[in-house]
Amino acid sequence: MRSQTQFWHDFFQKMMPGGRFFIASDCICSGWLANFTIQKGDIVEATQATPVKYDMEVVRWFTIAAAIYAVVGTLIGVWIASELAWPFLNFDIPELTFGRLRPLHTNAVIFAFGGCVLMATGFYMVQRTGATRLWSNKLAWFTFWGWNLIIVLAVITLPLGLTEGKEYAELIWPIDILIAVVWLSFGLNHIMTVAIRKTTHIYVSNWFTMGMIVMITYLHVVNSLAIPVSLTNSYSIYSGVQDAMIQWWWGHNAVGFYLTGGFLGIMYYFVPKQTGRPVFSYRLSVLHFWALTFGYVWLGAHHLQYTALPDWTGSLGAAVSLAMIIPSWGGAMNGMMTISGAWDKLRTDYILRFLVVSLAFYAMSTFEGPVMSIKTVNALSHYTDWTIGHVHSGALGWMAMVSYGAIYHMIKKLWNTEMYSDSLVNVHFWLATIGTVIYIVAMWVSGIMQGLMWRDYDEFGTLTHTFVESVSEMHPYYAMRAIGGMVFNLGTWIALYNIVMTVRQPRASVNAVPAKA
Amino acid sequence: MTNLLGSLGMNVSSMSVNDWMGVCLSLFAFFGMVATYVMVFRPTNKDMFESQRAMALDDSDRISMGEK
Repeated sequence: MRSQTQFWHDFFQKMMPGGRFFIASDCICSGWLANFTIQKGDIVEATQATPVKYDMEVVRWFTIAAAIYAVVGTLIGVWIASELAWPFLNFDIPELTFGRLRPLHTNAVIFAFGGCVLMATGFYMVQRTGATRLWSNKLAWFTFWGWNLIIVLAVITLPLGLTEGKEYAELIWPIDILIAVVWLSFGLNHIMTVAIRKTTHIYVSNWFTMGMIVMITYLHVVNSLAIPVSLTNSYSIYSGVQDAMIQWWWGHNAVGFYLTGGFLGIMYYFVPKQTGRPVFSYRLSVLHFWALTFGYVWLGAHHLQYTALPDWTGSLGAAVSLAMIIPSWGGAMNGMMTISGAWDKLRTDYILRFLVVSLAFYAMSTFEGPVMSIKTVNALSHYTDWTIGHVHSGALGWMAMVSYGAIYHMIKKLWNTEMYSDSLVNVHFWLATIGTVIYIVAMWVSGIMQGLMWRDYDEFGTLTHTFVESVSEMHPYYAMRAIGGMVFNLGTWIALYNIVMTVRQPRASVNAVPAKA
Repeated sequence: MTNLLGSLGMNVSSMSVNDWMGVCLSLFAFFGMVATYVMVFRPTNKDMFESQRAMALDDSDRISMGEK
């Protein structure tokens, strides 16, 4: 191992004097699995005790953008949920119909809100745990403006009906290329910042972020491969069942590596920070990372039970899904146990409440998902609103909650101030929690009713209910879902107001050392 | 070898390149996970891993946040 390391050491010293790339080469070729450390040679010494000025302005912009996109994304969600309950709300305007606005909603909450949270926290954590500035601040700004340009293009194209028709990958091919470029700029900057770190160890949060970067690049590029026939139209290079399999290989891994792995990185940094306690078990966090990384890529097939996909493929997807309960719950317990001994803080620390509830929803979602992948359960749940409820228990309960925990924590640190109103943080917490619960309960009842009505036969073997009857029966639950969404959306408005007022209030000296971790 | 794989239900003679790639990836993931479990749970490695538990807590007090 050492001789190989020495080779790359010599190579990069000759090619790129200065040491930066030497560290990168060592990081790649030695010790990467063994203990998350690099072989530093004699060039770099850990200097975490030395004060470091970080590139945090771009983090501030990503954070504010995330708070804005949360409002917009959930507002669109509330609108389309209301359209399902009260269809006249589309006003017969094509651009406002559910089919056009639904992908705008998913792209806004996943890629605009979630993306900005991931990039803000990614750049924040990698600098602080590495005791170093960003590898390239200019590249970070390119990432920020590029990502926002993509969001603007999505807002223009999706309501116009310009789409590739692939779930969570709707954007047309020129935007797909732009996504790849901007995402790679984020990835390169993050990975190179890890490479130039001043600490000997790569903290587990950065591993989760880097795992997400590598896998999402791979997934996005492969799934988006298409033959363009015009500026706005293209055809997937895959066909038939292969197209479906590739699509859900992407679709579920977007959940696995982006909405789970990326946000677990956030959890492993911000839960210890907010509680002021070390991670309960670092070994478990390492196992959590590698188990998700090895396991998640197998799950996509469980989205295609009872289709043209070979039966064994769906069974494999379901089997690995069930196996993933173990590391997922291990990770959730790791987060919960980190708080052990500091539960009293929940009385007064409203930010910590977001993080704790997010862990509860993470555990619940990662149990519910595998159960739904089992064929007998899937026969009832698939194509019903149960799936929508499951997705939102993960998206609202896990992703949004842990995001807001991180956002509130960062706001105080980035602006070196206290929140404008802690009471409003508490109000937001309860609105988010109650809204999420109303939403997912409505979808559970609605989904199970749908499944039961669709499979119900009479004594002559004909369907008992028409499809329209099942739609009609859903109305109360669709209204309930819209109300749950409104409650959650109201919380995001309050959060945005609180954040804006916080950053506008006079700050203490920026360079003053924060009183507490 | 062929008999061994056949006893596992694999029709080796009809396997394509893609099939073999899948087998190799599966085995890589399996042995990778085994190696990870062994590494993580090996008692002698406990201190090495757990010494990093507080890393996230160590980064704030000594480091300024930079200018706005």
